[in-house]
Amino acid sequence: MTRLSLDRVTFRYPATEAPALEDVSLEVAAGEVVALVGSVGAGASTLLLVAGDLAPRVVGGRLEGRVIFDGAGGDLRGIVLPMPWTQLSGMAFTVWDEVAFGPANLGLPRDEIVRQVDRAVARLGIEHLVARDPTTLSGGELQRVIVAGILAMRPTLLLLDEPTAELDLAGARTLWELVRALASEGTAILVATSDLDALPDVADRLVWLDRGRVAETGPVRLLASDEMLAANLSTTVASVWRAADLPAPYPVTVAQAMQRWQGR
Amino acid sequence: MAGPLTAALRFDRVSFSYGVVQALAEVSFELEPGEGVALLGRNGAGKSTLVRLVTGLARPGAGTIWVGDWDTRDVTPDQVARRVGSVFQHADQQLFARTLEDDVAFGPRALGLAPADVAGRVARALAALELGAHARDHPYDLPPALRKLAALAGALALEPSLLVLDEPTAGLDRALRERVARALLERAAGGAALLVITHDLTFGAEVLDRALVLDRGRLVCDESLAGLLTTAPRLEALGLIPPPVAALSTALDLPGRPVRAADAARMLARVAGGRPVP
Repeated sequence: MTRLSLDRVTFRYPATEAPALEDVSLEVAAGEVVALVGSVGAGASTLLLVAGDLAPRVVGGRLEGRVIFDGAGGDLRGIVLPMPWTQLSGMAFTVWDEVAFGPANLGLPRDEIVRQVDRAVARLGIEHLVARDPTTLSGGELQRVIVAGILAMRPTLLLLDEPTAELDLAGARTLWELVRALASEGTAILVATSDLDALPDVADRLVWLDRGRVAETGPVRLLASDEMLAANLSTTVASVWRAADLPAPYPVTVAQAMQRWQGR
Repeated sequence: MAGPLTAALRFDRVSFSYGVVQALAEVSFELEPGEGVALLGRNGAGKSTLVRLVTGLARPGAGTIWVGDWDTRDVTPDQVARRVGSVFQHADQQLFARTLEDDVAFGPRALGLAPADVAGRVARALAALELGAHARDHPYDLPPALRKLAALAGALALEPSLLVLDEPTAGLDRALRERVARALLERAAGGAALLVITHDLTFGAEVLDRALVLDRGRLVCDESLAGLLTTAPRLEALGLIPPPVAALSTALDLPGRPVRAADAARMLARVAGGRPVP
């Protein structure tokens, strides 16, 4: 079931002529993880703002084409913005209250709020932080808190912009495992990330954005394609393999490299 | 062991607390000129506190921090800036001037340098990060990733003996990370010491030599970064995961366990081609 559909979307920020997104079409189905990859400035963040109904509604600008998200059955889309401190409510004195801010604004009954907050807190492994003042957290701690606050609203479409930017590799791995788990429960996930090495284990498909347009879309093994290697958008393993002048197709993960190496 | 006169930075049994929360406990280490050190540890391990202490924004509760031959207790943060260039994690908030070159010039001007000298430093810093084309742009017209590079250019323009960087690659794509890596390697080759908080071990492996690991405020590891990255059990005990090149070297049992991409590619080619391994 398609949760999100962009149909020939072109978007311009206020007072700009050049489109930030141009003629972009994509779909994300329930249970699917789609990764947006591209260089800085390619339009991934803008695409998430459009998909999350923040652009043009909040940031202004002009949209052509259609963004279809069916919220009729009470379905929600949740967006995790880059730089988590920009997403704090500013109205909570504790992490628990911060995570509760979203569900409280949805007008859920109190016991339901408690249930969802406790569940989200447990899923992010931030039980030890619930009594802390959100403004005193480290970047990595805050990133988990923001994700918990979004999950507590139980979105059916989750939009993530660089969700691991503040996390260490172990924290990032845990977050990616959570993304997979959410997808397996039926959440549709669209994630912009520069953590390309994680994608083979996380994403079902990728959409390569280049200067606001979809350059390529397909399976994650595209990360070993000549085009993505040339654009410096491959996995590390693929780029090392090519730099060593070993034959294509290049492996994208360490596990694939081991198989290839042992089968020499 | 180098004394306080020759080390770029020396921590001597430094402790620091936020009220009752001890953030650092008896931390001692030294950094030599030209040495690149990764400051590692889980979120909340004390890394940012350590950096605040180096830059003079906080004073140690106990112990002494030497920046060259200065005891940080005896100098003000603006004096520290003569030797320490720092870029914080949310670096795009450090910019304030109308043009990028003005912003980068702020530090050298504040040091009281002659205009020609300021201009030279600004040009070198912008060139090192390939920002020359943006010199006249307003900093806030740049995308956040380039603003981050701009803040780093400001620190480079101080031409400090020690660069202290908090997550210099967060939010950057690979091409920009490589720019930062090249600029830092160039400064290290010129004798600047690097103290870098980073969870980007891929970047760390390419640029840095040594690892300091903090765990709940204590320094639990001080050794070669390459050695640490290729010893998975010890890394995992520290809550760290090997970056892809180190993982590849280990998985394929490449001789010498290279952790830098170019070294690994050379070794792969050599072994695959059946050529002797040096």
